Amino acid sequence: MQALLALAGKDLMLLRRNRGHLFFTFVWPLVAALFFGTVFGGGGDDNGKITVRVVDEDQTPASAQLIAAVGRMEGVETTPATREAGLDAVRHSKAAAVVIAPKGYGDAAERLFYGAPPEIELWVDPSRKAEAAMLEGQLMGASMERMQTLFQGGDAAAKQVDRAIADAAGLPDGGDATLVKFLGEVKTFVGGRPPASAAPAPAEAGAAKSGGWEPVSVHRHEVQDETRGPRSGFEVAFPQGVLWGMLGCALGFALSLVTERSRGTLARLRTSPLTRTHVLAGKALACFVALLGVQALLFTIGAVAFRVIPSSVPMLVAGCVSLAAAFVGIMMVVAVLARSEQSAGGLAWAVFLPLSMVGGGMVPLFAMPAWMQAAGNFSPVKWGILALEGAIWRGFTWADMTLPCGILVAVGVLCFSVGARLFARTEA
Amino acid sequence: MLTLSHLRKTYGAHVAVDDLSLHIRAGEVFGLLGPNGAGKSTTVSMAVGLLSPDAGTVDIGGQGAPTQPEVRRLLGVAPQSLAIYEDLSAEENLRFFARMFGLSGAALRTRVDAALALADLQDRRKDAASTFSGGMKRRLNIAAAMVHDPKLLLLDEPTVGVDPQSRNAILERIEAMRAEGRTVIYTTHYMEEAARICDRVAIIDHGKVLAVDTVANLIAAHGGDPLLTVTTSDGPEQIRTRDPVGDLARVAAGRTVLDFRLDRADLEQVFLNLTGRTLRD
Repeated sequence: MQALLALAGKDLMLLRRNRGHLFFTFVWPLVAALFFGTVFGGGGDDNGKITVRVVDEDQTPASAQLIAAVGRMEGVETTPATREAGLDAVRHSKAAAVVIAPKGYGDAAERLFYGAPPEIELWVDPSRKAEAAMLEGQLMGASMERMQTLFQGGDAAAKQVDRAIADAAGLPDGGDATLVKFLGEVKTFVGGRPPASAAPAPAEAGAAKSGGWEPVSVHRHEVQDETRGPRSGFEVAFPQGVLWGMLGCALGFALSLVTERSRGTLARLRTSPLTRTHVLAGKALACFVALLGVQALLFTIGAVAFRVIPSSVPMLVAGCVSLAAAFVGIMMVVAVLARSEQSAGGLAWAVFLPLSMVGGGMVPLFAMPAWMQAAGNFSPVKWGILALEGAIWRGFTWADMTLPCGILVAVGVLCFSVGARLFARTEA
Repeated sequence: MLTLSHLRKTYGAHVAVDDLSLHIRAGEVFGLLGPNGAGKSTTVSMAVGLLSPDAGTVDIGGQGAPTQPEVRRLLGVAPQSLAIYEDLSAEENLRFFARMFGLSGAALRTRVDAALALADLQDRRKDAASTFSGGMKRRLNIAAAMVHDPKLLLLDEPTVGVDPQSRNAILERIEAMRAEGRTVIYTTHYMEEAARICDRVAIIDHGKVLAVDTVANLIAAHGGDPLLTVTTSDGPEQIRTRDPVGDLARVAAGRTVLDFRLDRADLEQVFLNLTGRTLRD
C-alpha cells in the first residue's frame, strides 16, 4: 500500500510540475466551459435578476402596496400572474419564485400590534434556497413600508387606527386597556381624533394574543422545478468543460506512462519488488485522483460563480466517480497501445475526438440530430455528460442514474482489464 | 551470486542471446564486454527479470528467478537510459525509488543520504534532475540503483555519453563498491574500463559467450604475444615475441637502433583474435 501511494504521489507531483499537463487539465476546460456557457446563453435570468411572478389575490390597497414593493426590490424582476400561472412558471424554470398576497392580506394588514399578522405566500423551487432566503428577507422589509405609510399620517392611517382601537377594545375579558390607550396615542401621533366608541371585534382578531404580534408572516412553500431543460447555458457548458478536462488529464497520464517506458523508469520500477499490477494501479490511482480533482474544481467554480447547482449532490458525486473510472480505463488502453509519446498523442486524439464529437463533448446532446444521439450511445463521453447533466438539471432519479453510471464503470473496468492484459503482454 | 544457465532469447528470426551460461561470484566486479548489439543488454534484462528467456534459467543468490518480487529485492539496476524523473529533485528521485523497495522512516533517510553521497550530489539534492549535467544525471542514475543497498548491482553501460572526469568518478565509485564486497555486473564496450575495474570479464558477440576469465588470463590466452616494433637504420620491423629482450638484441646486431616499442596485447586484441573484428566494428 505504501508503494502504491508513493507511486500515485509521484505522478501527482509530476503533474503539478508539468505546466502543459496542468493547463490542459485544469485551465483549458474552464476556459471552454466559460466560452461555451456564454455562447449557449449564459445565466438563466436576464441581467442577473431573479425573475419573480407576483399574484395579488386580495386586490386591496395593502396588497397592491406589497406587490409594488416587491417590484422595487433590488435584483428582482416581477411579472404579474395568477396563482396557477405563477406556479407553472416556477415548475418550468421561467421564474425563480412566486409571491402571493392571498385573500385577507389587506384585512390583516389593517390590524396594528395585535391579532394574526398578514400572510404572504412565497413559492420557490427547493434547489434555489439562496434566492428564497433573499426574497424572504426583502419581503419582511417591504412589509415595513406599510408601517412607514401609517406613521406618515392622513385619513387612511386614522381610519386604520380607529379600527384597531375598536378591535382591541373588543378583545376577550373586557379588551386590552393598555393597547387601547397606546393606540389612542398612535392616533394622536398620526393626526386623527381621539377614540369615541368601541366596535365589536372580528372573530380572527379575538383569537390572537396581542403580545405575539408581528408585522407580517411569510409562509415559504416548495414547488418543484419540473423542467427537463438546462436553467442556463453554463449548466450545459460545465459538464462539457469537465469532459474536456478529463480528456486532457487522461491524455497526460497516458503520455506519462509512455514516457516512463521510453525513459527507462518503467524498467527500473519493474526491477523493484512491485508487480505489474502495482505499477498500473499506482498510475491509475493518480489519474483517478486527478480526474476527481478536475471535476471538483470545475463544479465548485460553476456553483459559486455561475450558479451551476446540482439538483442532487450525491448523484453528482456518483456521476463524477463513474466518469473518472471510465477515463482511467481509457487512459490505460491508450498508454499501453502507444509505443512513443508521438504515437500516444496521435492515438489519444484519434480516440478521444470522435468519442467526444458523437458523445456531446462539442455540441450539446439535446441539440444533436437523432441519428447522432443514437451513435453517441457507443461513446462513454455521452454517458459521462448524461450522468453529470442528470445530477445537475435533468432531474434524474437514482434509477435514471444507474444506466449512465453503470456503463461508465463497466467501460472503466473493461478498458483497465484490457490495458493491464496488453501491458503484461508487451512488457513480457 | 548470479547464475545464468543456457539462456536463449530470439526476436523473430534474430537470435539475440544463444545458449548463454555464466556464473558470477559474490563480491566480484564482472564485466560483460562486447560491441553494440552483441546481446549484453538482453542478457542483463533477462538476468533482472525484465525479459523472459525463451529457454534457460536465472538464479539470484540461490533464491530463485527474478520473477519473484522477493528475489528482486536483492537487485539494483541502472539501465543504460537515464531512468530518473527529470522534474523531481535528486532527493525526491531517491526517496521515491527507496520507497519502491519498502524503505521508510529513518532507514529511508539514511539510505538516501548515503546514495546522495555516493553520487556526490549532496549540494544539489534539492535541485531538479533536469538542471543536472550529463555526468550528474548518470551518477544519480547509479545512486537510484544503489539506494536500497542491493546485494547485486547491474550497471548497463553507465559511462555512455559522459565526460572523462565524470567517467573517472563513476569508475572510482564502482571500485569503492568492490572494496565493500558488493557484486557488480558491468556491461560496456569500453575495454579500458573493463580492464581497469573488472575482476573477470565475459566477452560476448552474437549472443554467445566467447570467453570468460580474468583480464590477465584472457590476454594471456587469446591476446597473442607482445608486439616488438624496432626502427633501425634499415627501417621499422615488427616481431611477435615472448622474449622481447633477446629479439631486440638479435635485431640490433650489426645495425643502429633508432627506436623501439613493445606493445602488450589488450582486450581489444583479445576480441579481435576471438571474433576477427574490433569492438567498435
